[in-house]
Amino acid sequence: MKDNVKSGALTEVTFFILLSLYTPRHGYAIMQFIEEKTGGRLVLGAGSLYGALNTLTEKGWIGPYGDSGGRTKEYCITPEGKAIAEKELQRLTELTKIAAAIVEEGK
Amino acid sequence: MSKVKIRFFAGFIESQTKWLNSMSAKGYRLVKTGKMRYVFEECEAGKYAYAVEYVGDKSFKEEENYKEFLEDMGYTVFYKNMNLDFSPFKITFRPWAEKGGKISSNTKRSTYNKELLIVEKERDGKPFELHTDNEDLANYYDRLSVPWVYGCFLFLLWGILAWPFMPVVCVAGAGALLCGTFFGRARHKIKQILKNNELEE
Repeated sequence: MKDNVKSGALTEVTFFILLSLYTPRHGYAIMQFIEEKTGGRLVLGAGSLYGALNTLTEKGWIGPYGDSGGRTKEYCITPEGKAIAEKELQRLTELTKIAAAIVEEGK
Repeated sequence: MSKVKIRFFAGFIESQTKWLNSMSAKGYRLVKTGKMRYVFEECEAGKYAYAVEYVGDKSFKEEENYKEFLEDMGYTVFYKNMNLDFSPFKITFRPWAEKGGKISSNTKRSTYNKELLIVEKERDGKPFELHTDNEDLANYYDRLSVPWVYGCFLFLLWGILAWPFMPVVCVAGAGALLCGTFFGRARHKIKQILKNNELEE
């Protein structure tokens, strides 16, 4: 999972994990969210998800939600993570705008 | 009715995975693991899928965290040893491990004899893979390859020390070769994965 911090480009997995955590979710729910939203195109293995969650927690983009008194650990996006997601959305919007214009012209 | 099988796969992780899956296909589900003992119970044929993962480089706490995470995903997780217990004083050094996992001894809170995790999932029609992200997969094989280098050197050292007592030298040579092969295989996997990654991008 290499996220290009400079340009703001995130990997698809990272972006989807951030988006899924606008609502607090545990690991299994994150996996389901991604599968559902991509219609099963993007399937994430539990080991890869675990690694990604740890990396994003270290970066401070997501954090644990509530006390983990309940056995299943839940995660939630942090304000920093939200800022990153918003920036990515902006970048993608710009990109699609440019792409749409060029592709339309080339028709 | 339960069924006991005696097997030892050492570092042959893929063979172990295949074997467990073939047992499941025959209608046996794993219920308990020992050093070389596998206890199965009858189940609907092919109901469960298995994955085996190397975690010997993790600290005890990290391994527990990971196991818990997998259990939260709804999987059943078993510990499995990768080595037979030949080290004196029940202690092993793992210079390749992360902080907290370097010295592994036979105490409760340790990764001793828990180098592998066997993960069981109820089949849902999709393939069962723990690592799907190419970068993460390459990273996993990288972690997996390192211990073999140490193993290779240990065998070579053993062979040199035993020189010229040929029987031991031969065994050590074979051991070194085997370790080297495992290392080579892991590196080869990484190369393939990185190549795939480029193609996808």
